[in-house]
Amino acid sequence: MRQLDISFVDQTVERLGRGRQMVIPILQAIQEHYRWLPPEALERVCQLTEITPADITSVSTFYTQFRHRPVGQYVVSICQGTACHVKGAGLVHEALQRRLRIAEGADTDPQGLFTLETVACLGCCTLAPVIQIDGVTYGRVNPTKIDRIIADFLRRRRRAARQPQRQPKPVGAAVGEIRVGLGSCCQAQGSAQVHEEILRVLERTGAPATVKPVGCVGMCHNTPLVEIVAIGPSTAERVVRSGNSDGRRETAQPQRCSTQAGQQSDMRLFTKVRPEDVPQIVLEHFRPRGLVRRLSYRLSQWLDRLYSDRPESDESGKPVTLRDPPVCAFLGPQLRIATEYCGQLEPTDLDEYRRHGGFAALSRAVRELSPEQIINEISRSGLRGRGGAGFPTGVKWATVRAAQGAPKYIICNGDEGDPGAFMDRMLLESFPYRVIEGMAIAARAVGAEEGMLYIRAEYPLAVQRITEALRRCQQEGLLGKRILGTDFCLQLSVVQGAGAFVCGEETALIASVEGRCGMPRLRPPFPAQQGLWDKPTLVNNVQTFALVPWIIRNGAERFAAVGTATSKGTKVFALAGKVQRGGLIEVPMGITLRQIVEQIGGGVAGGRKLKAVQVGGPSGGCVPAELADTPVDFEALTSVGAIMGSGGLIVLDDSDCMVDVARYFLRFTQNQSCGKCTLCRVGTRRMLEMLDRIASGQGQAKELDQLEQLARAVSAGSICGLGRTAPNPVLSTLKYFREEYQAHLEGRCPAKKCKALISYYVTTDCIGCTLCAQHCPVGAIPMTPYVRHRIDDDQCTRCDTCRQVCPREAIVIRSPRSDGHE
Amino acid sequence: MPRLRIDQHEIDVPPGTTVLAAARQLGIDIPTLCYLEGYPASTSCLVCVVKLARNDRFVPSCATLAEDGMEVHSETPEVHQMRRTALELLLSDHLGDCLAPCWFGCPAHMDIPLMLRQIAAEDFRGAIATVKSEIALPAVLGRICPAPCENVCRRADVDQPVAICLLKRFVADVDLASGSAYTPPQAPDTGKHVAIVGGGPTGLAAAYYLAQQGHKCTIFEQSDRLGGRLWQDVATGRLPAEVLQAEIATLLLPGIAVRLAVRIGPDEATVHPQIEASGEASGLPGRLAEELPAAECAANGLSMPGNSLCLAALRRQFDAVLIACGAAAREYAAGWGLQTGANAVAVARGEFTTNLPGVFAAGCAARGKAIAIRSAADGRQVAVAIGQYLARGERESGYVSHTPDTSETSHSPHSATGPHPNKVSHSQKAVGNAAKLPSTFTTRIGKMDKNELALLMSDASPAPRAEPSSGLGAGYSPTEAIQQARRCLHCDCRALGSCKLRKYSIIYNAQPRHFAGQRRPFERYTDHPEVVFEPGKCIACGLCIEIAKADGERIGLTFVGRGFDIRVAAPLNKSLAEALRKAAAKCVSACPTGALAWKYPQPGESRPQS
Repeated sequence: MRQLDISFVDQTVERLGRGRQMVIPILQAIQEHYRWLPPEALERVCQLTEITPADITSVSTFYTQFRHRPVGQYVVSICQGTACHVKGAGLVHEALQRRLRIAEGADTDPQGLFTLETVACLGCCTLAPVIQIDGVTYGRVNPTKIDRIIADFLRRRRRAARQPQRQPKPVGAAVGEIRVGLGSCCQAQGSAQVHEEILRVLERTGAPATVKPVGCVGMCHNTPLVEIVAIGPSTAERVVRSGNSDGRRETAQPQRCSTQAGQQSDMRLFTKVRPEDVPQIVLEHFRPRGLVRRLSYRLSQWLDRLYSDRPESDESGKPVTLRDPPVCAFLGPQLRIATEYCGQLEPTDLDEYRRHGGFAALSRAVRELSPEQIINEISRSGLRGRGGAGFPTGVKWATVRAAQGAPKYIICNGDEGDPGAFMDRMLLESFPYRVIEGMAIAARAVGAEEGMLYIRAEYPLAVQRITEALRRCQQEGLLGKRILGTDFCLQLSVVQGAGAFVCGEETALIASVEGRCGMPRLRPPFPAQQGLWDKPTLVNNVQTFALVPWIIRNGAERFAAVGTATSKGTKVFALAGKVQRGGLIEVPMGITLRQIVEQIGGGVAGGRKLKAVQVGGPSGGCVPAELADTPVDFEALTSVGAIMGSGGLIVLDDSDCMVDVARYFLRFTQNQSCGKCTLCRVGTRRMLEMLDRIASGQGQAKELDQLEQLARAVSAGSICGLGRTAPNPVLSTLKYFREEYQAHLEGRCPAKKCKALISYYVTTDCIGCTLCAQHCPVGAIPMTPYVRHRIDDDQCTRCDTCRQVCPREAIVIRSPRSDGHE
Repeated sequence: MPRLRIDQHEIDVPPGTTVLAAARQLGIDIPTLCYLEGYPASTSCLVCVVKLARNDRFVPSCATLAEDGMEVHSETPEVHQMRRTALELLLSDHLGDCLAPCWFGCPAHMDIPLMLRQIAAEDFRGAIATVKSEIALPAVLGRICPAPCENVCRRADVDQPVAICLLKRFVADVDLASGSAYTPPQAPDTGKHVAIVGGGPTGLAAAYYLAQQGHKCTIFEQSDRLGGRLWQDVATGRLPAEVLQAEIATLLLPGIAVRLAVRIGPDEATVHPQIEASGEASGLPGRLAEELPAAECAANGLSMPGNSLCLAALRRQFDAVLIACGAAAREYAAGWGLQTGANAVAVARGEFTTNLPGVFAAGCAARGKAIAIRSAADGRQVAVAIGQYLARGERESGYVSHTPDTSETSHSPHSATGPHPNKVSHSQKAVGNAAKLPSTFTTRIGKMDKNELALLMSDASPAPRAEPSSGLGAGYSPTEAIQQARRCLHCDCRALGSCKLRKYSIIYNAQPRHFAGQRRPFERYTDHPEVVFEPGKCIACGLCIEIAKADGERIGLTFVGRGFDIRVAAPLNKSLAEALRKAAAKCVSACPTGALAWKYPQPGESRPQS
């Protein structure tokens, strides 16, 4: 091996510091540079810093972000999120392994070009299944698309040298604004290319419009989204105001999406836009100035069309108005507090945020209210922590304020790790200033002058935008010393997580900030008393902070007026799974799961039947269809065996196997267990093994009881929230779907999902077209033109490709397994 | 001062006291594996859980601070069940044999690996103590035993089994030749007296171990010499008579009387005239059987010489009677009023009790047929059974009321009515020298693959099995013996005596196979000069990591990975030798299992399986 140039390590240490707590940032820098952690680099770190060999080994092997083996030229990340799982991520993984010829047990192809790795969740659940190749995200992947994706990626690489385009200056005054949603999921569906194309078209045509990248719009099922807004003399007003007849400022009420939408008739929304749709959309709205320009553009367009034969899609690039029934239904029941001005703000534009009432709350908090008054306001609002457990926020703040010890710290928990949840990412990406403002208010209330936002490294866009927002706030005197001219000081920084779900647990998060393995410790003492560096520390979730400015601005009563007796305000959910319209939604507490699924989500996709709603991710439970009228309320959800959780809502239909779902979640938590306490470390593994046996038809009758007993023990005895809640998906499915477990014991998978219990079978509808034989990746279908095909059950890997390509739906799945030969 | 209630007991403790410490002050010995005084509680093992009445939550008592008004449940079925679950989960991921395959192969359950390590360390005196603690006649058996232990020796999967039998003989021969043969410690006189009918391997062994417990014994031998059927092996030339005689002489501890040419006839029937037992009569050299003084005989109500002896008389005159007169017992049984089975006196399995209270039968008397080592092993085991019987005073008779293998369940802390688990362990130990935890408790590795065997071999001499160079008759030279002993793979757990996981698993009746799980690969690190590290036995408590850090090890130890696959290892792929330069001793003694263990036996180390 070539001698490694180690000087980068020296520079990094020089830049980041020598303290023990810098171990994670130093490792992240080293990995970014070398693409893995070469042993000699680690040795060098130990020589240069206070970090010991033991520290560096434990930390670098604890967090999954870190690689101890060199990787291929490109890294393919396969999302293991819930939505991806139920939509076939496993099949995609296998197909990639086959396509890239990755040997059993290896992760890199023989040429060293691609390395496959799994990630807990990329947070693009509405586009499931999702893979990411070196930062390029591909959504709605299936095994038949793999070849095209690989080819597309390599083509992009070859063109990668292209410079990003700058905003062209419109000729003359802009008459409109083109908004492009650039949240992570929009980008996964190609909104970045659409954005580029819009810039290109504007450049070439000189159309009088400006382009504005905006945050997540929430309608992820329709991405990429392009919105055209005319800018008249009163447009700025119109965007801000609801247009309600009484003329009240929009901010005085939570934004009802539909009213706002209905009134903005000069605003057009285009859904599922492809780059090739862009010229038409732009030119339809904005006539380019100057005849020559227009003509030359038309000509080049004509030539383009001559040489390309892109298929026309009938659903893409369609304009919809916000009065369209589906859009109305999607937006109708929603209520915007945390996501106020959703889809209208450029995320990092501080001035725009301030024009929309931003930092008014902070101003009030530091100039007009005492810390006690702030806490009182929050307490009266009934706000409870949005991270999942629902602890009353006011009580927590009061505890930190009253706690002995200085300095005090404030931490924003943005380690959103639940597969199937991306609310926090969306808030951080789209509303960075709102989160910062909420934190500043909280810091003022509890008496903290230093704090950090702990954000998953898997959310690069969120990190980037928050970093930018912090910089701007610092410049504008909204952070730092003497904030808004008062004696209030607050220093905020970003700490990046390194791939450990358990760090969402506050004591583990604190350990991680301190540069240790993210292992939770027994509480009490609570972080409010002894947190970061053993000092009183306020840890709140992103969403909790994002709700705070609204409450301070509009008063506790307004907030408390929304919701149920014990759960106030709104909750942001990531709605995904087998639903017509997935997306990021904010709904008032008290809305029922059924309303969410049917009204907002448009019901179950594909005409199937609702089976259950998985609420709360791996810590939550499956609420069966018959309990779908359960309201969104901390206590109500707990009483049916789920939890509010951080906000993942996955809709399951009758083709989803509940044993498989339980196994999926348990595999996730088992894999994320920190390994500290016996019940979680070994208990969850033994539970998973039981589920594996059950799912493969090897389970024994007594195992269901044993599984339940062990699940209860793990739940009762583990020391942290992860372990205590990990059995919930198992316990809730055992409670509501025990007969499905029973069926597996008998060798049947009623949903026909569990591979060991199903077989593929060709019916007499087969016309012998050989498509299945051509596509079968393992040659399990002999090529028999015009003769009904047969599947060799022993060779079949149940990749489902044949069934997907069959034009006659002549391939069916059977369970219990038949021999496949008849 | 916080006042808290643990079960039914109230206690005031200073602020900052843990629930564990408070419980220990009350004499409630909550089990702990990962906790060590002076180090931060890692709350890893969760074997110390208690339940808080306040919120119905289970919490580790080691890290939960006592609060005023706190109500804690510790010794309840529910809490015990939780502790058992924690233990069973740990056991399910615990890769190691507590007891080696040879331990199970040997009818006497001799601690063979320990003997081999002692030989390898040239501690022959220690080795004979190990041997003699289970086998009374090693020089004899070393010559005639078919060595079932070698049949199951794991080394046979690599090349050939370790020559265990020859090594045992070597240890015994060295001892006999030393001029001061090993004598075991004896407990003070208990005042109890046991009659042993038969002076063969069973009877001799029983007398030897009963005497160690402080009980007097009188052996009644029908023939004119001790040894019984072992004389047949002398006749075939396999066993030199002088070896037999010399070894028997080492067994006759103070408190053992021998009466030769006494036949115990049918009840109340007269037997032919007696020959007084005497050293001369048995032809034994050296110190001879102590003869019971006539006065003592009278005091014990023992029939005087010349009087008729029958079982009923023995039962009247002795505290217990052991029938160890070989297969012939079956013929006498009817006359003695003993029930019989297919070919021997009927006894309760594992208990050796007959239908008559206080009458035991063992060896061929209870089996009909057995190899000599089995008879000797019976002698050892029946001595324990009789000892327990004598310690308990009266004991319900017989095999009818006994069900096999009740020993394990009866200790279950699960039964709410049962005694405190820790007290049970004391009563187990109270049996004295014969202290025996339910001894067969073991976790098992099972079949090992080639790579794993190779790892086992890393700890052993690669030399092939060799016969003694001066011929079988001469046995091994010390050099040869050491070489041969080093071939042992050390399948057993070196920390058998100190393993807390095993200790509490026995007390809490935790079943190693309750949670069937995938077995992790076997690993063993032997590069450290003194310490062996077996990650498969590690419960990831992190104590060694903390100790190494506190002791200023430059490399030290660390956790590698996370979750189920978390392992303790030296960081940055360093060796164990580099990692533990000064903290090794502390780490070994703190390790709650045998993950970190001494390579060679330590002085005063106890191995309570024997």
